[in-house]
Amino acid sequence: MKVRFKFSKHGVLKYIGHLDLMRYFQKAFRRTDIEVLYSKGFSPHMIMSFAQPLGVGVESDGEYFDVEVADEEDISTMVAKLNEQMAEGVVILDVVKLPEKFTNAMASVAAADYELNFYKESPLSTALLDKYKAADAVTFVKTTKTGEHIINVKEFVFDIALKDDATLFVTVDASSAGNLKPANLLEALLKLEDKSVADYPFHILRKDTYMRDASGNLVPLNKVDYE
Amino acid sequence: MMQYTALPEEVLMSIEKPERYIGHEINAVYKDKNKIAVRFGMCFPDVYEIGMSHLGIAILYDMFNKFEDTWCERIYSPWVDLDKVMRERNIPLFTIESQEPVKNLDFLGITLQYEMCYTNILQVLDLSGIPLISTERTWDDPIVIGGGPCSYNPEPIADFFDLFYIGEGETRYRELLDVYKASRAAGESRDEFLHKAAKIPGMYVPRLYEPEYNEDFTLKAFKPLYDDIPTKILKELVTDLDDTYYPEKPVVPFMKVTQDRVVLEIMRGCIRGCRFCQAGQIYRPVRERSVEFLKDKAEKLLKNTGHEEISLSSLSSSDYTHIEELVRFLIDDCTKKKVNIALPSLRIDQFSVDVMEKVQDVKKSSLTFAPEAGSQRMRNIINKGLTEEDIINGAVLAFKGGWTKVKLYFMLGLPFEKEEDIEGIAKLCNSIAAAFYEAIPKEKRVNGRVNITASTSFFIPKPFTPFQWAVMDTPDDFIRKAGLTKHYIHEQLNQKVIRYIWHEADVSMLEGVLARGDRRLSRVILSAYKKGCIYDAWSEFYKHDAWLESFKECDVDPDFYMYRERKDDELFPWDFIDCGVSKAHLLREWKRAKEGIVTDNCRTRCSGCGSARFDCGICINGR
Repeated sequence: MKVRFKFSKHGVLKYIGHLDLMRYFQKAFRRTDIEVLYSKGFSPHMIMSFAQPLGVGVESDGEYFDVEVADEEDISTMVAKLNEQMAEGVVILDVVKLPEKFTNAMASVAAADYELNFYKESPLSTALLDKYKAADAVTFVKTTKTGEHIINVKEFVFDIALKDDATLFVTVDASSAGNLKPANLLEALLKLEDKSVADYPFHILRKDTYMRDASGNLVPLNKVDYE
Repeated sequence: MMQYTALPEEVLMSIEKPERYIGHEINAVYKDKNKIAVRFGMCFPDVYEIGMSHLGIAILYDMFNKFEDTWCERIYSPWVDLDKVMRERNIPLFTIESQEPVKNLDFLGITLQYEMCYTNILQVLDLSGIPLISTERTWDDPIVIGGGPCSYNPEPIADFFDLFYIGEGETRYRELLDVYKASRAAGESRDEFLHKAAKIPGMYVPRLYEPEYNEDFTLKAFKPLYDDIPTKILKELVTDLDDTYYPEKPVVPFMKVTQDRVVLEIMRGCIRGCRFCQAGQIYRPVRERSVEFLKDKAEKLLKNTGHEEISLSSLSSSDYTHIEELVRFLIDDCTKKKVNIALPSLRIDQFSVDVMEKVQDVKKSSLTFAPEAGSQRMRNIINKGLTEEDIINGAVLAFKGGWTKVKLYFMLGLPFEKEEDIEGIAKLCNSIAAAFYEAIPKEKRVNGRVNITASTSFFIPKPFTPFQWAVMDTPDDFIRKAGLTKHYIHEQLNQKVIRYIWHEADVSMLEGVLARGDRRLSRVILSAYKKGCIYDAWSEFYKHDAWLESFKECDVDPDFYMYRERKDDELFPWDFIDCGVSKAHLLREWKRAKEGIVTDNCRTRCSGCGSARFDCGICINGR
């Protein structure tokens, strides 16, 4: 039986990188009596799939992973059992059963929304957001193995809004092909006013992670349509 | 939720692996500091990944935190990137749990696992804002106490410590904490407390002892300043390893540390008196944990940590009486739980090969032999009870089991070494390769051929070993001998399948000086630290020239410690410690080494080393 867990990650655990978080969950499951299924072969490992890796320093209210458990496991007790094994800062919020042949968490991800706040002064303003909306291209330079690429963030932003000139809410592409990091979006945005992100320390909270339903709408990864 | 970190976010985001510094790991112990009488900081003076892998600290962390009046927290050396930031921004060193300054603690315990960590001790003290020299400290500073194998010669670092605990930590800390509490309650001075502490068995307060030197800087006398403290300090040890502290819920780090597994210590001590090996002497007598104790702990530890691997720990696991029963139990239990088993320090024989086939991926793993010396003559000198026949038979068993990779560990620069002994290393490797081609028919050779890796380290004489009298080789000797080894390997018929690697010589030289050093070295270590030496154990940070300059400035000749012939009756700086094994026994072994005479292991025949006075372990049963 494949199940999908939703969890949040806050506090100092935001400094735990993705690979270590996967190891952390594997060890956590081993401390419970939930029977997780393993791959075959000489060094068997748990069959797990995480949605979109969360960057170091980013907190989240909506993280997901899939795991395969024994068919006879009771889904109603799983959240409590796993929560008993969590370090302070990670909370298991939900678990749902996945239909047969359902796309795994990693491949499902279409978008994520983020909340950005500034520790000190905020460089944001309605005027800046207007400039963003008016511009054809808002860019940053992405350096990869193949060289430097100019990325137009507008192609990857689904929604953008501002509250009190201090908090930015964005919904961006988070699919494996088109993932836009919120820090890069901010970098491109501030460049419109010749400002540098480095001068405005900020905090990122991922609010939720989304997939597309049958009609193409964005729905949270745990809103599984069983039809 | 707000979890406090000593380091501000912008610092944590700018350094490598912030996970090293944030705490809150599974099973980490948090207590209400207002309900605590004693705050103890347990420090491993190296980076988190190394320190978190150490079983000794896990045992003591568990013990201290079982004391209701005590909170034990962990402290590690900040990595070089954070070290720089902390100095620039004046951030004091903090504990992992409370993230509070180390200076707020009552005790700072520092484990001394290898000599090359000595400058990191100064790093820890300095970043904590604790005066580096013990006599300059006040009650505003924690009591700085050292323990672990290097405290068997604490003299080179004597100036930096208020106290050393000689021996195994499980036995006397409770008493020390009680004396501390009483002393504080009575409003006594730091000196008064230390004087009282010096009367507790196993405790050494360096400032209460005074060395007197001869004109040639050898030791003339070493005496306590008061007649109510012992002239000789007997090591502490646990007599019954089934009736003592053993953590059932060790801390599980978030990041991958060196020992990312459950570690089961099956016994202490070693029956084999290899003459170069300090651990083989200072942990005598051999004491085993019962197989019931170990089965119970293994199950609880796997359950409480969620680790996917378990490893046995001891100096020579094959010598554990119930090794077969224990390993069979683990294989059954762990296979069910999909847990891997690591079996280091197993002698290669039919049993271990059978077991390894079950627990390892034969195609990928390699088997390790530690003959330590290439010739039988030299193996007799070092008392390594292993013949060429044993090695070849073991290798053939492994080859038949499907292994094609063999690793061999040797030492260069052992006492009385001749060129033929070095040539012996090459010849032994060649014989093992030849045995492969002889034992395995062509069509059954998995990867076509065998891979042999010979690795040499340079021998460093250590206190409390029969070789404590030995003259050490110079770095030039070492380089020449490594060259010779390479030359002889190239001369072998099967040289193509033998890979040779060797360790650096400069670091070995410093380790040699510090290992058999005296109190005059504290100044040298301090000077090297002030020149920027830290993380000397990491070759990329080791500054040989800075050390050489420091010796010069302090007018201390490093050659004195390494290349001097020591007389049979020389008084050594560490002779005020009684590790259980008598000096007379060590001297007898040194003479037997010269003659190439092998001494039986403890199980075969008692050699009267002196440890029987502890009245426990193999000395009273199981020979």
